[in-house]
Amino acid sequence: MVRASRAALIGEPAEGHFFMLTFILRRLFITVPMLLVISFLVYLGLELTPGDAVSHMIDPEAASRVSSEQYEQMREALGLNKNFVQRYAIWVSNVVQGNFGHSLSGGVPISTIVLDRLPATLELSLFALIFSTLFGCVLGTISALRRGSPTDSALTILGMIGVSIPEFFFGLVSILIFALHFDLLPVGGRLIPEYDSYFDHLPNIILPGLVLSMMMTAGVMRYSRSAMLDSLSREFIRTARSKGLPEWRINIIHGFRVALTPVVILIGFRLPTLIGGSVIIEEVFQWPGIGSEFISAVRGADYPLVMSIALLSVFAMLMASLIVDVLTALIDPRVRLA
Amino acid sequence: MANASLNHEFDRILAREEAGLNRPQKGSRAFRKLMGNPLAVAGLVIFMIILLSSIFAPILTAHDPLKINLREMLQEPSAEHWFGTDRTGRDVFARILYGGRVSILVGLGSSLIAAVIGVGLGAYTGYVGGWVDTVALRISEIFMAFPQIILVLLLVSIAGQSLLNLIIIFVLSGWGSMYRMTRARMLSLREEEFVQALQSFGVPTLKICYKHILPNALGPIMVNITLTTAMFILAEAGLSFLGLGVPLSIPTWGNILNVAKDIRVLENNWWMWLPVGMVISFFVLSVNFIGDGMRDSTDPTLQG
Repeated sequence: MVRASRAALIGEPAEGHFFMLTFILRRLFITVPMLLVISFLVYLGLELTPGDAVSHMIDPEAASRVSSEQYEQMREALGLNKNFVQRYAIWVSNVVQGNFGHSLSGGVPISTIVLDRLPATLELSLFALIFSTLFGCVLGTISALRRGSPTDSALTILGMIGVSIPEFFFGLVSILIFALHFDLLPVGGRLIPEYDSYFDHLPNIILPGLVLSMMMTAGVMRYSRSAMLDSLSREFIRTARSKGLPEWRINIIHGFRVALTPVVILIGFRLPTLIGGSVIIEEVFQWPGIGSEFISAVRGADYPLVMSIALLSVFAMLMASLIVDVLTALIDPRVRLA
Repeated sequence: MANASLNHEFDRILAREEAGLNRPQKGSRAFRKLMGNPLAVAGLVIFMIILLSSIFAPILTAHDPLKINLREMLQEPSAEHWFGTDRTGRDVFARILYGGRVSILVGLGSSLIAAVIGVGLGAYTGYVGGWVDTVALRISEIFMAFPQIILVLLLVSIAGQSLLNLIIIFVLSGWGSMYRMTRARMLSLREEEFVQALQSFGVPTLKICYKHILPNALGPIMVNITLTTAMFILAEAGLSFLGLGVPLSIPTWGNILNVAKDIRVLENNWWMWLPVGMVISFFVLSVNFIGDGMRDSTDPTLQG
């Protein structure tokens, strides 16, 4: 439901900022309740899964020595004997302050685990984001400029092959070829104990990073191809050509720059899905990020950790879509939320 | 000049038609267009080959996919075992054929159920609107706020692993996009004049909605079903590879690939994981080709 705003129709520049502000507020008005509902569902899931915080705090061997009175005292100290709504309120206020509780295995605070693992995931995602954007834009532009040629069809088919191969299978084959057969790159892992500067573990990121990029390139390529085709069919291209500009200038300076806008928005939108997208790749390459932590939490039935990571990923998704919507509205005044 | 040759062409077609030379065209226009797309036809052929060989697995192989034979452990491909045997002497070829049954069932089954729920709900709420529509939209937004794989893994950790659970989980994670797409189509279709005509005749709401409007939205729905099937087959393979999908005792494509986590198998026993990885890739590729061909043949706005 896209509607031209009044300001854009009548052409009142002074009202532009006001519209932007109400737009952002209205968007927040949808996002915040959404987060609350999802956090409630997540909390419900936590409550329904077996065990409570106290039973996990007590060492299993010492459990027989803890009297039921002591147990009750501990429950009371943690606020576990209050009713469900009160407990939920306490939990939410803790989460807002960054206190997600403790992991069941080892009792480490979840915030510590997340902060520990997040840099690795961000590093991998950023690498893949940069390379897939580069490859995707270049290949998509070539495809659009050579529309209908064998190059175009070959690239389109390659893109479809890219989205059809299971990412972990692609990862395994690349491990076999580059790590085991030619011994060029390490099989997996991230940090080597003695060397901990960034450049020492550069070889470790190449394989998982490139595999992830290849998987994501197809989408960017397809999108930038159609954006480029769209931009090339506009009238300013004809104007540029009639001015007698060289063909490369028309394509790159005039065509590509306009095509870039929707592509940039797409990339912004991909940022949070990268967290999801790298889950399996992290596992294949033993990359110590959030994804592999999430999988081992699922395996070990570490419910508080599973729920916290899921909640954080939802938060990242909602924030990114908020930012993308605002960016889109800023760039294109025709797009406003109805 | 161009006009003259075009006129000439039209005259020629007209003459052929008058002479009764043009064959009466069979099937729907979209289907004929699909058959004219070489990639879609190639996709259909590969799809049928893999589907039929899974269905007729007992005819194609004499081996039992579950039978452990410790005398024939880790054999390389031979005339007896086409794709060799695994660590417990089970025939890999038989496991791929029988595994295809489960993998295709999970992929196709979940996407069909997700389509029934998503399309059924989207068609109704998109047509009637009001608070029903708002509630359904908000519920779908909740499901779609999660990155897909995070939601699937979260539900696996709550529900536990089984074949049925996996299908339910895929349906839960996939109905949202079907719902959103159908609803969006309904929102524009309900403004059409034929709908007003039907309303003024007093045709019941449900009949207008499902019998008269919905068929107009079938093209994109079919495309969505095929692409979702491809996605679910990849998801099943990925989850089973992690050991979190279908229980390991049931052969599926992902479960067969699971052994490749062991780096010694990866390096020394290629036949245990390479063929099945190729089969998954070809199957998903064929489904994607079909879906893409269907999109081209049903969506007139996409002529690029």
